[in-house]
Amino acid sequence: MSKKILLVEDEEILINILSKKLTKEGYEVTIARNGQEGLESMRKDKPDLILLDVVMPKMSGFEVMEEMNKDEKLKKISVIIVSNSGQPVELDRAKKLGAKDWLIKTDFDPQEVVEKVKNNFK
Amino acid sequence: MVEKREEDNTQKISTLLEDLLLLERYIKDLFTFFPLPVCFVSPLGVIFEVNPAFEKAIGYTSYEIVGRPIENFFEKEKMEAMTKEILKSGNIEAREISFFAKEGKKIDVSVFGQVRKNEQGEITGFFLGFFDLTDIKKTESDLQNTQIALLNMLEDIEESRRKAEEEKNKTEAIIANFTDGILVFNESNKISLVNPQAEKFFGISNKNMAGKSILELSVFPELEPIVNLVGPEIKGISRKELSIKDGLVLEVSAIPILKEEEKIGSLITVHDITREKMIEKMKTEFVSLAAHQLRTPLSAIKWTLRMLLDGDLGEITSEQRDFIEKTYVSNERMINLINDLLNVTRIEEGRYLYKPVSSDIAPIVQFVINSYKDEYARKKIKLEFKAPEKPLQKVSIDVEKIKLAIQNFLDNALKYTPVGGEVSVFLKSSNKEIQLGVKDNGVGIPKNQQDRMFNKFFRAANVLGIDTEGSGLGLFITKNIIEAHGGKIWFESEEGKGATFYFSLPVKEEFTEFLEEF
Repeated sequence: MSKKILLVEDEEILINILSKKLTKEGYEVTIARNGQEGLESMRKDKPDLILLDVVMPKMSGFEVMEEMNKDEKLKKISVIIVSNSGQPVELDRAKKLGAKDWLIKTDFDPQEVVEKVKNNFK
Repeated sequence: MVEKREEDNTQKISTLLEDLLLLERYIKDLFTFFPLPVCFVSPLGVIFEVNPAFEKAIGYTSYEIVGRPIENFFEKEKMEAMTKEILKSGNIEAREISFFAKEGKKIDVSVFGQVRKNEQGEITGFFLGFFDLTDIKKTESDLQNTQIALLNMLEDIEESRRKAEEEKNKTEAIIANFTDGILVFNESNKISLVNPQAEKFFGISNKNMAGKSILELSVFPELEPIVNLVGPEIKGISRKELSIKDGLVLEVSAIPILKEEEKIGSLITVHDITREKMIEKMKTEFVSLAAHQLRTPLSAIKWTLRMLLDGDLGEITSEQRDFIEKTYVSNERMINLINDLLNVTRIEEGRYLYKPVSSDIAPIVQFVINSYKDEYARKKIKLEFKAPEKPLQKVSIDVEKIKLAIQNFLDNALKYTPVGGEVSVFLKSSNKEIQLGVKDNGVGIPKNQQDRMFNKFFRAANVLGIDTEGSGLGLFITKNIIEAHGGKIWFESEEGKGATFYFSLPVKEEFTEFLEEF
């Protein structure tokens, strides 16, 4: 059975690119366009991995993680942050909230994101 | 009978004569012994007789004196007047006059005179005695001088007191009007001064704080954080931020007040940094927002171009690939520029270094060099790393920032060294520091522009034509990175011959304390 990935991201182009790449690799990709949608979606679909943006409308990535930490089941799902920013304080906060990894979009190519996802399932 | 009487008279006369002689000798002895100078002068002013004290005082022998007019030895006019007065009124007392001793020395004396009359009441002359006033005069003048000196001292004291008072008033005015809050404690850590600004910050009146010990002040909730910070002994602290209440952030410093190395009290100053904190927060928010807003479209472009290049969206012609690759590179440049701007913003916020760790620098240098190998090979520039033979001492560094510093050196060497050039990187260590150098044989830096190399946005004239991409931020950022580590940065260069850029970092022991500030 293919692994389920939830992509929480508000930038349409990035959604298109990542979902295309990941689908091609055989993952089942669900998309949420803001933090709130992301939470609803993960409660319903129970993904194996979440790619989470930080700055999003309605609910930020950090707030999503805070909510996840309150829920025993959601807490166990791996989260990789995919953000535009990478200030040390933010990295620290993500780590404390339990994120497995942090990717700065401008520093990585989509293929490298796919590699990170693959590594996660190894 | 008659004979008997005559015999008696003779006897009497003889006895009387004997008595007279004795008396005369007595008077002579007394006259000789008398320690004060005395002379006897005729009514016409001629000296008849002097005693040895007179001779001694005046410096002439009696032969030289007796028979000479008295005024010869004294101030003439004054003595003439005195003589007249004595003869007229019978005596004078304590009149001041000067005489001239043999050596010509002028001596001030106090003169007494008394006429002598015979049985008929006719004046036969007068006694003149005097005593030396020199010592008295000297004592008098000493006294006067002492008095003057005392008066001067009193004046000086008064002046000093006035100045001290003035200074005190000035200091008090400064303290009272100071925009920082000031709390002064005495040697037993009891409060001795609170300025109005401190009262205002904490909302507690001077009256309520006066005389309280530091620990007693913790009953005020507004002062409790400070008490907790400095402790019962008021230990020295430097610029610690404290949030006192909503909308008031203070920077607290405490220093001991020393007198000859002995602590005689403590001074706590509180500086309002609420506004700075607010601006800092706004700036950070702005940077974060700008970074997000600018980076979002750039990452969208980056990823799309990468998809195209990877063939994910179908085959592309080599001409298309060429254009897309160039666009990709331009986009990368834009991303780097924004990263540079973000770094500059963080440098200006003063919070640039992040959690320095003790590290071996050689593998870090090797890592950065490896990441540049392809680019150097493309431009056919030889890139050599002269790794140290022995492992170097560890340095306490923010690894990511030091990587960025080395990258900036290698970037510049790559950009400004022509095809076929050579770049070498070397690491050296001395007792106290580790030095890294990047040497190229590129275009070099014109002498007249060398002092501006580390300025923000500065680019040397000779590179503007070679490369239009540089932001002029690389060396500015690098300098800030190195200096934030307590290190130094410099270069040696000759235009047309190349440049060597260096930085040095202090080895760990000395550095730990410095970094705690960050």
